[in-house]
Amino acid sequence: MVEDIPMPPEAARPAPDRWSPVTRAVASAGIVLYLACVIMPPLAGPPPASGLAVAALQPLRPLVGALSLGHGYRFFAPDPGPGHSIRWSMEFADGSTRKGIIPDRDTDRPRLLYHRRFMISEKIAALVPPAGVPEEARRQSRGDWQPLVKDVAGHLLERHGGDRVTLELVEHYLPAPEEVMRAEAGADAVTPLGTYALAEEGLP
Amino acid sequence: MRTATTTADALRVAAPADRGAHTSAGDADPAFREASRARSGQGGELREWLAAWNAFWFTPADPLPLAMVRICAGALLVWAAFVWLLDADAFFGATGWQRPENVWRMNDQPWQWSWYFVTGSSGGPRLLAGVTLVAAVMLTLGIATPLAAVVSLAGLISAANRAPLNVFGFDDVLGMLLIAVAIGPAGAALSVDRLLAPDVTASRPTVRANIALRLLQVHLCVVYLFSGCGKLLGASWWEGTALWGAAANVQYRTLDLRWLAWHPLVTNALTLATLWWEIAYAAIVWPRLTRRVAIAMAVPVHLGIGLAMGMMEFGLAMLVANMAFVPAAVLRRAVGPFLGTARERS
Repeated sequence: MVEDIPMPPEAARPAPDRWSPVTRAVASAGIVLYLACVIMPPLAGPPPASGLAVAALQPLRPLVGALSLGHGYRFFAPDPGPGHSIRWSMEFADGSTRKGIIPDRDTDRPRLLYHRRFMISEKIAALVPPAGVPEEARRQSRGDWQPLVKDVAGHLLERHGGDRVTLELVEHYLPAPEEVMRAEAGADAVTPLGTYALAEEGLP
Repeated sequence: MRTATTTADALRVAAPADRGAHTSAGDADPAFREASRARSGQGGELREWLAAWNAFWFTPADPLPLAMVRICAGALLVWAAFVWLLDADAFFGATGWQRPENVWRMNDQPWQWSWYFVTGSSGGPRLLAGVTLVAAVMLTLGIATPLAAVVSLAGLISAANRAPLNVFGFDDVLGMLLIAVAIGPAGAALSVDRLLAPDVTASRPTVRANIALRLLQVHLCVVYLFSGCGKLLGASWWEGTALWGAAANVQYRTLDLRWLAWHPLVTNALTLATLWWEIAYAAIVWPRLTRRVAIAMAVPVHLGIGLAMGMMEFGLAMLVANMAFVPAAVLRRAVGPFLGTARERS
């Protein structure tokens, strides 16, 4: 039998704060609307999702967007996979070069700052096809991830004052327990993300 | 309370009786009388549903749990805003990790608003992140709490909508907490507002406090349910090896758990316990008998994620959300000395 959360003795007494039926009806409508905005986004995405859930979400989009409720809550699902980082190499006008990585475990502190930068590589990695995917599919996916990578490249060039920057996505090898027991490790998978330069208008 | 069987029987009887009623000859018909009773039974059940709905949402509640959620969520937002400020131009500026026009194009616009979209100058992002920080400090202390709560929520949403490449579960959960805090009388207890304007009725149970806490409770159940169901799509969760995938991920790792390689059954047990606790949470957190287990499990799960995977802010935010299920009487005992001081001063 489901039971209510117990109230303290003070709260159990008849309280002066009682809402009229009309107020309760209006509040109930608001509650139902809010709960719909909480429940529909994870039902409607990320894939797989039903067409019905996606359709039901449409009228709720204004409130879902305004309150930032469009979350899937699929933490570490469906399977915890390998981690990713973005390695970059920058060339300067004087011929010098500089290398870096996003996120940088050594310099990105505190940890929350590291995690915010870590999300850049993770979210871009979610859009870049893994190795072995046919070239046609790889080409088609470029429109999804390249605008993000261009912005990252542009930010790095602005930040460090470089001329050109080359980025590559590194998928860190996730060892199996047996490999750890044998003290073995596989190689990281590297996917080129392109070389970018700032154009005259300041866009990469 | 009528059972489902009784209701089904009543519905079966109701149909011929309705015909009898239309002929005006049914008053003397025993079937009609039975159907009338059944119809009143239906109405009774509807009334029971309405009464349950009203009791669930509109019973006045002690605002103390909401006040404690406010303090914790405010403190987490203080920290989050401070970290945003460490690199505000990169997160929110015109030449940041993502340019505003690209974010605008990728978001579900015009709904996903952000006050950072209207800042172009180099000082704008810092100023607005600073506004969030100040609002979060005020929220934590309970200064002008209703205004501070709304500005804090606006600051969090603005950050999430402007820098979608940099947000993660911590921001989702913090938003859930701040919405509840903004809806309810979160400054009614343990606040500077309460100290400066002592009102003997301010900390009494209110319907708004109940609605805010109920929304938080239900939202938390939704989070756990979808988190658990999402995991069911993955083979590693069924196999009990998913925890290894998280422990061996060098990008997340802050605590070396590779010793789990030698103890696969421990990995299985931890993985399956996490999975089934998440899925069951929405069911077992409501009955008193199992509530303590549901909440107690949250502590090692979320602190474990925080310590081992470097996501302490996310873990703490989830634990704060679980606080919504802790009875007010328990919290009142825990913070009794502080409440006593407040009462004396008032």
